[in-house]
Amino acid sequence: MVIRSVGVIGSGTMGAGIAQTTAQHGYQVVLFDRSEEIVNKSKAAIDRQIDRLAEKGKLSAEAAADVKGAIRTTVRLSDMQECQLVIEAVPESMDIKRDVFRKLDESCPGETILASNTSSFSITAIAAETSLPARVAGLHFFNPAPLMPLVEVVKGIRTSEETIRALLEFAASIGKSAVSCADTPGFIVNRVARPFYNEALRILGDRIATAEQIDRIMKRSGQFRMGPFELQDLIGIDINFSTTVSVYEAFYGDPRFRPHYYQQRMAQSGRLGRKTGEGYYSYEGTP
Amino acid sequence: MRELPNVLILGNNSLAAALRKLCSDSGRVQLPDGSRLEREMDVIVETTNADLAQKRANLASAETYAAGGDTLILSTVLGISATESASWLQDSTRLVGFSAFATIEKSELVEIAPALQTEESKLRQAARFFEALGKQTETVQDEVGLVYARILSLIINEAAFGLMEGIASPQDIDTAMRQGTNYPMGPLEWADTVGVDDIVAVLNGLHREIGEDRYRPAPLLRKLLYAKRLGLQSGRGFYTYPEERKFPS
Repeated sequence: MVIRSVGVIGSGTMGAGIAQTTAQHGYQVVLFDRSEEIVNKSKAAIDRQIDRLAEKGKLSAEAAADVKGAIRTTVRLSDMQECQLVIEAVPESMDIKRDVFRKLDESCPGETILASNTSSFSITAIAAETSLPARVAGLHFFNPAPLMPLVEVVKGIRTSEETIRALLEFAASIGKSAVSCADTPGFIVNRVARPFYNEALRILGDRIATAEQIDRIMKRSGQFRMGPFELQDLIGIDINFSTTVSVYEAFYGDPRFRPHYYQQRMAQSGRLGRKTGEGYYSYEGTP
Repeated sequence: MRELPNVLILGNNSLAAALRKLCSDSGRVQLPDGSRLEREMDVIVETTNADLAQKRANLASAETYAAGGDTLILSTVLGISATESASWLQDSTRLVGFSAFATIEKSELVEIAPALQTEESKLRQAARFFEALGKQTETVQDEVGLVYARILSLIINEAAFGLMEGIASPQDIDTAMRQGTNYPMGPLEWADTVGVDDIVAVLNGLHREIGEDRYRPAPLLRKLLYAKRLGLQSGRGFYTYPEERKFPS
């Protein structure tokens, strides 16, 4: 089956980024959200991104017009029946996802691939909410989706090889490097990256080194591009903490993933990083 | 003119080789050999990580080359803390811990840590020694692996657990970490580059010292060690390398 139209469910940061990058690679996109106001606002933001790319000379005026024209918005999930691939990017709540997948299962033809951009739920569990779990898989983008080159294609226990192949091809066609992985907690990146933050917090908590020292050491001894504390400030300490807690719980409390109380305190303090002007570092006066 | 400081590097491994090269390239220290070892050493560097009995024997012989109270003994802390290593010495105030992999040449910075027993002046001497080799230093508190080696070893351990569990291929795990989170190398190729033996030494050291399951080495890492698949240095680790790439470049 040839994919021409791609549905994107949820027009937040991830959904908008996925819609934009998909449209930029020649697909028709149907972007859904639950109200006209929300989805129109998101579409306007995408259009501004496209205009900015055109201003910088990264897109011709003509191409920019085509990309903007390739994205249409809707508030009816049943409009997804015209898509060959639907990517769900709603908030990380199993109740919301269950509802979306049940409705997609009813309205989309049997060949349509249903993918979830979830980072914390089991694909197998999401697939089990539908009548055709073989066509359900994970398609995990990284933020910001138009810039980050990686996509994890996640195979649930009942996902078919055909679905995985189609998603690997789709990811490559939108310029991403795709890796395939099994449906395990945190998939690859969110699991293997945990110690980068978690062990740095442990070392800080045990007063072996300061946050500034740890960041400096990881960059100058290890050639990491950012240290674990400045990277948490960039991502948002609250977001990073909730990923850590979710992976820890999904592994039934394996001590390798045990969160540090200090990260929780930071999240509780409201100093969440760059977005609040202060985290482990202060960003007063920086835009 | 004052003579260049005499340096003795103990240990038969890639880090010792890399340090000898850094010393001779620097032109700021000298490495007496053979018969000239009779003379007193200013700095003695012990580099053994996995074999702690060997490390203990090396540190004992280091003390015989030491000149009175002035000699600094630098000892790697990848497999054991500086404080425990220092406890093996007759004069435990002269030992400073440091952390580096065989890839030290590419690092701008070396971490050093005083043992609980270390005399303040020895720490300054340690910083001057690495400065002579063109390295910045960062002084942190003593614990197995200090900062970089400890964090990297845990990332590699997690990648090895994931590989063992079949979550993805080695190539996909490495690609995911390079492109999904901007790491300079994937964790499995990183293990092959710094040496699987040193990664297991850090994990074993932390596991023994801190006593938590968090630091338990992945069974696959232990097996690579038993099979002597240590990475680039032995031509095979998580990946297999052509003959010409056998040693870290």
